[in-house]
Amino acid sequence: MNYDQLFHILGIIVVACPTLLLAVLGVSSLVGRPLTERLMSQLTQSAVVTGLLASIGILAMMLMTDRRLIEVGMGNWLVLKEQHFHFTFKFVFDRLSVPFVILSFTLCGVTGAFASKYLHRETGYGRFFVLYAMFLLGMVVTSLAGTIETLFAGWELVGLSSALLVGFFHERAAPVRNGLRVWTVYRVADAAFLVATLALHHLTGGGDFVGLMGHGAWPEGQAALTSNQALFVGLLLLVAAAGKSALVPFSGWLPRAMEGPTPSSAIFYGALSVHLGAFLLLRVSPLLEASTLLCVAVVALGLVSALFAAMAARVQTDVKSALAFASLTQVSIIFVEIGCGLRYIALIHIIGHACLRTLQLLRAPTLLHDYHDLENAIGGRLPQNATMWQRLVSEPLRRRAFRLAFERGFFDTLLADYLVRPFVKTFQWCDGMERRWTNLLAGRSARDADPLQAAGGVVDDLQ
Amino acid sequence: MAPTASPERPSSTTHSPGDAADRLLHVIEHAAHLLPSQGPITVFVHHNTLHAFEELRFDEALRESQRVYGCQPFLSEERYRRELASGRIKEADLAVELEEDLGEQSDELIGLLGTRFHLRLAMLKHSLRTAPSPELRWVVAETDALRTYRSDVSPDIRKRLTEGTRHWIMRDFRDGKSASQAQGSSLSAMVEQVLDRFDCANIESWDNSAWEAVCLQLLWRLSFDGVQRADRKSPAPPAPIRQRDALLAATGIDADELANDLLIRYSSAFLDQGYAHWPLPNRDGGFYQSFLNVYGQPGGVVPHWLFGVKREIARLQSEQVTPLASIEESLRLLGVAPEQQEAFITASLLALRGWAGMIWQMETNAEWAVRPAPRGTLVEFLAVRLLLDRFAAAYVGKEHLDDDGPLATLRERAAAKHAERTPTGKTQLAFLFFQLAQTLGVPPEDLFRLPAKTWGKLADEIDAYNEFERRRTFHLAYERRYRNQTLDAFAIHTRGQQPNAAVETKLPSFQMICCIDDREESFRRHLEEIDPTCETLGYAGFFGVAMYYRGAADAHSRPLCPVVIKPKHYVEELPTYTLEEVHRRRARNRRLVGAASHQFHRGSRSMLGGAVTALFGPLASVPLVARILFPRTAAQIRKMFGQIVRPPEATQLLLERSQPTPGPEEGHIGYSVDEMTDIVEKTLRDTGLTSRHARLIIFCGHGSSSLNNPHESAYNCGACSGGRGGPNARAFAQMANDPRVRARLAGRGLDLPPDAYFIGGYHNTCNDEVNYYDLDRLPVTHKEVFATTRRTIDEARRRNAHERCRRFESAELSISPAAALAHVERRSEDLSQARPEYNHATNAAVFVGRRSRNRSLFMDRRTFMSSYDPTQDNEAGAILARILAAVIPVCAGISLEYYFSCVDVQGYGCGSKLPHNIVSLLGVMEGATSDLRTGLSAQMTEIHEPMRALFVIETTPTVMEGIINGNPVIAQLCRNEWVQLATLSPEDSTIHLFRNGKFERYDAESDQLPEAASSVDWYRGWRDHLGYAAIKTPVSVSAIAQSNGKAPR
Repeated sequence: MNYDQLFHILGIIVVACPTLLLAVLGVSSLVGRPLTERLMSQLTQSAVVTGLLASIGILAMMLMTDRRLIEVGMGNWLVLKEQHFHFTFKFVFDRLSVPFVILSFTLCGVTGAFASKYLHRETGYGRFFVLYAMFLLGMVVTSLAGTIETLFAGWELVGLSSALLVGFFHERAAPVRNGLRVWTVYRVADAAFLVATLALHHLTGGGDFVGLMGHGAWPEGQAALTSNQALFVGLLLLVAAAGKSALVPFSGWLPRAMEGPTPSSAIFYGALSVHLGAFLLLRVSPLLEASTLLCVAVVALGLVSALFAAMAARVQTDVKSALAFASLTQVSIIFVEIGCGLRYIALIHIIGHACLRTLQLLRAPTLLHDYHDLENAIGGRLPQNATMWQRLVSEPLRRRAFRLAFERGFFDTLLADYLVRPFVKTFQWCDGMERRWTNLLAGRSARDADPLQAAGGVVDDLQ
Repeated sequence: MAPTASPERPSSTTHSPGDAADRLLHVIEHAAHLLPSQGPITVFVHHNTLHAFEELRFDEALRESQRVYGCQPFLSEERYRRELASGRIKEADLAVELEEDLGEQSDELIGLLGTRFHLRLAMLKHSLRTAPSPELRWVVAETDALRTYRSDVSPDIRKRLTEGTRHWIMRDFRDGKSASQAQGSSLSAMVEQVLDRFDCANIESWDNSAWEAVCLQLLWRLSFDGVQRADRKSPAPPAPIRQRDALLAATGIDADELANDLLIRYSSAFLDQGYAHWPLPNRDGGFYQSFLNVYGQPGGVVPHWLFGVKREIARLQSEQVTPLASIEESLRLLGVAPEQQEAFITASLLALRGWAGMIWQMETNAEWAVRPAPRGTLVEFLAVRLLLDRFAAAYVGKEHLDDDGPLATLRERAAAKHAERTPTGKTQLAFLFFQLAQTLGVPPEDLFRLPAKTWGKLADEIDAYNEFERRRTFHLAYERRYRNQTLDAFAIHTRGQQPNAAVETKLPSFQMICCIDDREESFRRHLEEIDPTCETLGYAGFFGVAMYYRGAADAHSRPLCPVVIKPKHYVEELPTYTLEEVHRRRARNRRLVGAASHQFHRGSRSMLGGAVTALFGPLASVPLVARILFPRTAAQIRKMFGQIVRPPEATQLLLERSQPTPGPEEGHIGYSVDEMTDIVEKTLRDTGLTSRHARLIIFCGHGSSSLNNPHESAYNCGACSGGRGGPNARAFAQMANDPRVRARLAGRGLDLPPDAYFIGGYHNTCNDEVNYYDLDRLPVTHKEVFATTRRTIDEARRRNAHERCRRFESAELSISPAAALAHVERRSEDLSQARPEYNHATNAAVFVGRRSRNRSLFMDRRTFMSSYDPTQDNEAGAILARILAAVIPVCAGISLEYYFSCVDVQGYGCGSKLPHNIVSLLGVMEGATSDLRTGLSAQMTEIHEPMRALFVIETTPTVMEGIINGNPVIAQLCRNEWVQLATLSPEDSTIHLFRNGKFERYDAESDQLPEAASSVDWYRGWRDHLGYAAIKTPVSVSAIAQSNGKAPR
């Protein structure tokens, strides 16, 4: 067996493990034969451990053979010759994807072990692990994607499982509402992504990253686009990345996402999924090199977000929101790093930050215990630092800053009341006009298509 | 902007403003008492969730609280029916409770449905379906409901129904036409109409299933028609109290969502105890002023619903409207009439009850906190709440009802819109009749002949036995089963005992005094099983030592005594003289490490600090993985490293003061010798430990340690205000060992033999570890007896862990005792463990009396046990009164908190632990923003059986009555039936039960008590609740009972 075959086999294992896991967990509950808690957690663990070992194996072999790019193709799934379209599943292992996939497996594995005990006896146990498997698959596919379609597929899996996990406790209204909010923001980001994909296809004749960036292994690639083309595609991808990573102005969804059980908040919004935007930019980094303007945009967005998030983190009074904004601060800094062309530093930053934040979020419920220990160690109340901030900044300005941070930059209000509302109002107005028009034509008031009244409205007409 | 939300000029009120303001203040304070009274979660004290209703009888309180809070008063009907099916509730119990409840009305005949008793029993036994009208319509049209009988209709009744229908139709409606014209024609027409659907030509060849369908169709039509004819006015639904209620009903949009989101974040910022880096600006100005400041400043983006708020705030500021005046103004603008004020204000405060309650607690009851709230904060909170409510209501009205009219009458307009669509509930009633007719076997002909007036009466009857009443009966039967089992077990177990006979003088091998906590029951039982010659006693876990305590490594003093006591004394733990240098060094290390980790903690959330710490992030994965995959090993490693900073093991208590008065200052810390003597004497006399002292007497406090558990303090000792009781035991032992104390005790007639030595200990109920204090001072003469005792205790720890593990699904039933101990140790160190232990869950009974009366009775960790010797008490029961004054309120509080959190974990409890989010260092929210959640979590109560605590007290009814009369708190709890009360005679096994305000003799239901050779033989292989059993260890019970009797030394 030569190295190529071995790489191929290991590569397939890495992708197959989460796929099988999702299939087994999902199908068993679909056909109405849910597995026991124990079996589910064992399956999850073995899938994660196998996947992790395989990816570590690939890393070791890459180091040994000094190969920097391995491609594992899954063939063309759709070829339209006339239109020059082909839909390909292809996975690449390189310096970017291998660390990221190892990180995904490690953190998912730890969180899975945590959740298997934490969610013990919870009615949604099975549902959690199905969504978890979907997320894991999404992460692996996204990290290893060799074509932009593949990346989009993984991206969607991550988005769907995230939104459903935010609404995990669907017997209460708030989680469902917030899950929907997350989903809406993701839709907007995904739309941008989709447009970018189409544009890429048009410009390069395919979704393959190789076509886009030449054959150099990451991070040395050359964009096969002109500066303006790169700017256009890059900006669309930047919107997609900003939505996924909750950068300004989409930041409102991040604290809202803390509705799910603690482990899912930790893994998704503290660690992995929130870094996906940064990962996307890293993946298409040759685009950034092609357009200085794009780099400037990335850096600017990152800086604004970082400043905003750092301020917002300072006024949060609950652990999970504070950690959410703290995460956002670092993710924004990572964007800045990427914009400045510091790819490796960004990658290291992602890995370190993800590990740290997972630990912090998983032990968030132990905060009071920790504070008590800290107070005892220090031997008094924890110091409330009357810092430079308080000394240097005047009171009215501080009050304004507080309000800005407290209202989370007003982004939610801006989006909801000044963007969505006029939009909805416009269409409601159109709807009203159409009704008038159809009524006029029909000569009577036709309301057949109106939705049923949800509450009340029913008389006792049983006979 | 919403014009209706802002007032025109406030018109000057005509009555004197002072009076109205006073009245308003009074109303607000009154409403405040209905708010949850849980303080900061770090000092979790169990108390009756419905404390505010204690002056009512239990069932009335439930009814009233259901109205006020909208929470469940009992378990669900289905749950009770499941318990009925599983045998947890017996049908006989239901019958008895029904009869007792109905009294003479029980035999009254109700129309055709039999006696009232039978009607009600049928309604209990059969699950009668009800649903909204559309669903019922579907059930009737699409399911088998009109084709086949309900599955729970007995064959006899099926036959009767089918045959009855057949006879009647064949007689009166053969050919599908009415034979006799006498009947009211419309009804007959309806029957004909039904028959039309069947093949009437071949009526004689119809089989049973056809007749069954005919019968059901007729029953349904006749029921439906009868209900319409009954012509009852269904009571009007209560008028909505707040604008939000009316709007919600009319539009489905909750105006509170708008106001609450802001108010939650604002309240948490105001109450924050130091989590956020930036404090609320101008917090010292108070809730209201600070709000006006923050939201009145120019700039920023205002959401649509708050348009106009700045102008309104500017007006409030320029006119210097006080919070109270602002409330009055809001009430007027919202159109609240003076007589509605109280209900309106209560409802407005309860809309965010967790936060409002915390504000009230922080302003009245938390002067020790870092940032308590100033007096009057709740009033200011209400002012802001109503201000926001005005805007929210006006906005929702305008957006969703297209209603621009004045705010004051918005509620009425919205309610009127909704009233048009309120269903009458007649379909539901008809469907109930339909089902009852089947289960009771009332044939269609009987319904056919029923006059309209009787229909009305029947409807009233069924309405009267509504869901609340049915669940109440179920609940009474549920309690009755457990009560009878308990009292039977006590009666049988004490039979043949001669509790007061003087007997042998052999001394116990050792004596162990634990807390009365239900979790110590199994621990004590195992100790006694391992060493039948030992004795165990129970006393409230602070052992009479009420103090503010500060450990060597603690930053602050904390009270260690029941909440009702305000300690006057301070005690400190100091390192021993030779170790002072080590202590200082380690304290310095600790401070350095602490300051560094605090920096790290804060820094990791900031911009640059976060970036730096993130570089070390991969290092964080090491503890992360270790702690989650191998919690126990990780804990051991951490412990090892912790030695660098932990205070030295050898410490001493600063227990005696040099100055005359107690206080926190130097020289005033500690007790005087006389005070120590008082404490020791009182505790020993209360427990009856006045003679036959063993050579070794261990006082053992308790607590619990767990991780990732915001409710950690709730698992600790209730008698220590949610603290850990080890220091109390240690202090008590030191006092009792003091020769000066002993000399004074001897002077008071309480002789402690010189060779009796006291040791303080601490039992961690989560990992079943037992620590001992001051072993360095143990006399050499006692080394051996301590070594033996320690071995006994270690074995008991293993067995106790084993017994607890049967409740944990994640522990195999086949686990060995040693593995069980490792299992519970892992639980207490596991970050991912949502149930480190089950705390007081399953608690159900309280025993106050001599241990000899129920020694070796398996009570399944469900009983609080307080030691009391009636033979040492005076005739009035002075000692008992003293004990009960604490035991009854405390145990009732625990039991009732579990009761309410269990019956409605979302309403009274704090829901599932999984999405909990610590906020302001004060409590938990669910997810990102929610009301502050109080009470116990689903994980804490999942195995609990909600029942009122059953007190069994070893005394006579006369003494008990005297105590009830002498103590208003006890009287209220007992007379209003918040607890169940029984007495066990100190002479024999007679039991009296306190019912309806007097003691009645209890006659045992059975005379069988299962026996087992050991506890493990009884509980092995079983996860669920277990009944009582006598544990017959090789040593005969009577010998132990005798050796426990009172005898001169």
